[in-house]
Amino acid sequence: MNERQQVVYATVQASLKRRYARERRFRTLGLSAIILGLSFVLLLFADIISKGYSAFVQTHITLPVYFDPQVIDPSGQRDPAKLARANYRKLVRAPLRALFPEVQSRREKRQLYRLLSTGAAYQVQAMVLADPGLIGQTRQLALLADDDVDMINKGHIDQASVEERFGTAYWGWLQQLKQQDRLHTRWNSGFFTSGDSREPELAGIGGAMTGSLYTLLVTLLLSCPIGIAAAIYLEEFAPRNRFTDLIEVNINNLAAVPSIVFGLLGLAIFINLFGLPRSAPLVGGLVLTLMTLPTVIIASRAALQAVPPSIREAALGIGASHMQTVFHHVLPLALPGMLTGTIIGMAQALGETAPLLMIGMVAFIVDVPNSPLDPSSALPVQVYLWADSPERAFVERTSAAIMVLLAFLISMNACAVALRRRFERRW
Amino acid sequence: MSEMQSASGDAPLFDQSFQTTGQIHVDCPRMTASRVDVYYGDKQAIYDVSLDIARNEVIAMIGPSGCGKSTFLRCLNRMNDTIAGCRVSGTIKLDQQDIYDKRLDVVPLRARVGMVFQKPNPFPKSIYDNVAYGPRIHGLARKGDELDEVVETSLRRAGLWVEVKDRLTSPGTGLSGGQQQRLCIARTIAVSPEVILMDEPCSALDPIATARVEELLVELQKNYTIAVVTHSMQQAARISQRTAYFHLGRLVEVGETTQIFTNPQHKLTEDYITGRFG
Repeated sequence: MNERQQVVYATVQASLKRRYARERRFRTLGLSAIILGLSFVLLLFADIISKGYSAFVQTHITLPVYFDPQVIDPSGQRDPAKLARANYRKLVRAPLRALFPEVQSRREKRQLYRLLSTGAAYQVQAMVLADPGLIGQTRQLALLADDDVDMINKGHIDQASVEERFGTAYWGWLQQLKQQDRLHTRWNSGFFTSGDSREPELAGIGGAMTGSLYTLLVTLLLSCPIGIAAAIYLEEFAPRNRFTDLIEVNINNLAAVPSIVFGLLGLAIFINLFGLPRSAPLVGGLVLTLMTLPTVIIASRAALQAVPPSIREAALGIGASHMQTVFHHVLPLALPGMLTGTIIGMAQALGETAPLLMIGMVAFIVDVPNSPLDPSSALPVQVYLWADSPERAFVERTSAAIMVLLAFLISMNACAVALRRRFERRW
Repeated sequence: MSEMQSASGDAPLFDQSFQTTGQIHVDCPRMTASRVDVYYGDKQAIYDVSLDIARNEVIAMIGPSGCGKSTFLRCLNRMNDTIAGCRVSGTIKLDQQDIYDKRLDVVPLRARVGMVFQKPNPFPKSIYDNVAYGPRIHGLARKGDELDEVVETSLRRAGLWVEVKDRLTSPGTGLSGGQQQRLCIARTIAVSPEVILMDEPCSALDPIATARVEELLVELQKNYTIAVVTHSMQQAARISQRTAYFHLGRLVEVGETTQIFTNPQHKLTEDYITGRFG
């Protein structure tokens, strides 16, 4: 080594430590950012799951119910219309009275009856309507308990608060029921099938899920073809000039417009101008279509741009027309990317709340919608509604609804990732 | 740029009175280009090129990078139309018909003047579908048997039939580079073009695959007119009857291949041939 080379060598050696330290610092920074993000996600999931898992089971009280012919059908004609109108409340209250003969005062009786949900009577009614042969028999039935019973049974309310709120007798009844092995938790299938209710134990996400499904269906049916067609036209056929530049800028801007603005637009145009029904998934779908279109168009254009020009040249070079080149060769290669974009847009639409508030999908709707024109709610809106309710039992239902929503979102995004993996770089 | 200047001293390389050396005209041309200028936006890529391409000849276009030989080739079937800002002036005729005529449809033109590209670019479809695509879209063979025959003939002519006849349904992209390029040639000849343009068809291939494609070119010459752009002077010497030397967007010299390589008339051609630059 000559003198100059020695100097260079020494300088390089001296600077190495500093250079590596800088690299280490950067790595640590990046890693800690990721750890921070992940831990927040974990915290969120842990919180939601710990609060919400118990909503998937529901407390029931097992009682011997006597299907009293005198109450249900005194005439003995078994007329379904009459059967439906019978006083089933009386039937489910009778075994409670029998269990607790010491309860005499009207006030105490009313409280005793409140151990059961109002849904318990409907449970018995449904059984009788399905099988009138039950009349005259006695059956051990697991009847739906009130939400307070459910909360106490799941340990969300302690003894002191119960005695303060409901009196000492109430706690005693529950203990007695427990000792007689009459309190059970069962899989809460009603949570997935029933609509909203003021009674937490009767409230379910069935209506909201169906509403979301109809909304997304409308969104998919509209935004997918419109978005992809717009992307193909803009990318492949539109002349490059000021006007198309303007369109492009506007599409990019639309993607960033707050979603509530789309809700206002939907309210003004679809409901006020076109007279479409309020609270309907059809309108929700239309509004969400407006919102997802920019996402779909941008993703589809990116997918079209990613198709290598050599494929276009190959097709053009043997005399395929422009249209044939696009539809026979470019589009099939771009389609997975377009679908990925569409799915991500759909996932975004599924989680969207604000625009749905504006078009009335925030209303309290008990019935499960049967068509996109029926009034309905949507999953995220249901979460919003329940989070606002004062009853303790709605806390776990809110978290459970979030879990269902997240499960849908995660599976949709997983679909998008899987599609991308599967069809990545086929050429 | 410095290379260019050293090739001809400090004087400007081309002046107003620049003329192509050699015979640009032939007796019965398939294609005739006269006074072609090509611009990419404001930048001129080709200056005043006139050249005839004879029937059933292989004409090689050589020259240093950026000399405009590929651009000129792409003018011959209007592939430059797809490039934004590309403008062509002058006339190019195919069998006495101006291909830049406003009324001329570019789709049948490209069926008559096919193109094979530098990088093998088979469609991500089966080998069969690759070859059958052209005949299908042009309606050349509708029935299954007829199409099978066209596919087989084309693959045979491209010297690929024996290698792929048992796996016609497997994807064309699964073949080796040389096979892919021959598949692309088969795809091009499946629509029976009059002229085949090849833009450095062997530059992405290994020597053995290159040799096969070159053999194929000699074979194809019996039925087709072929214009080949190549970086390899040896390749030009092996396969072509005539050679055109391009330099900085000008057609410097054109002539019989043997004459160009043994007795170049222009100083630039000589410098390039003898390896002084390029």
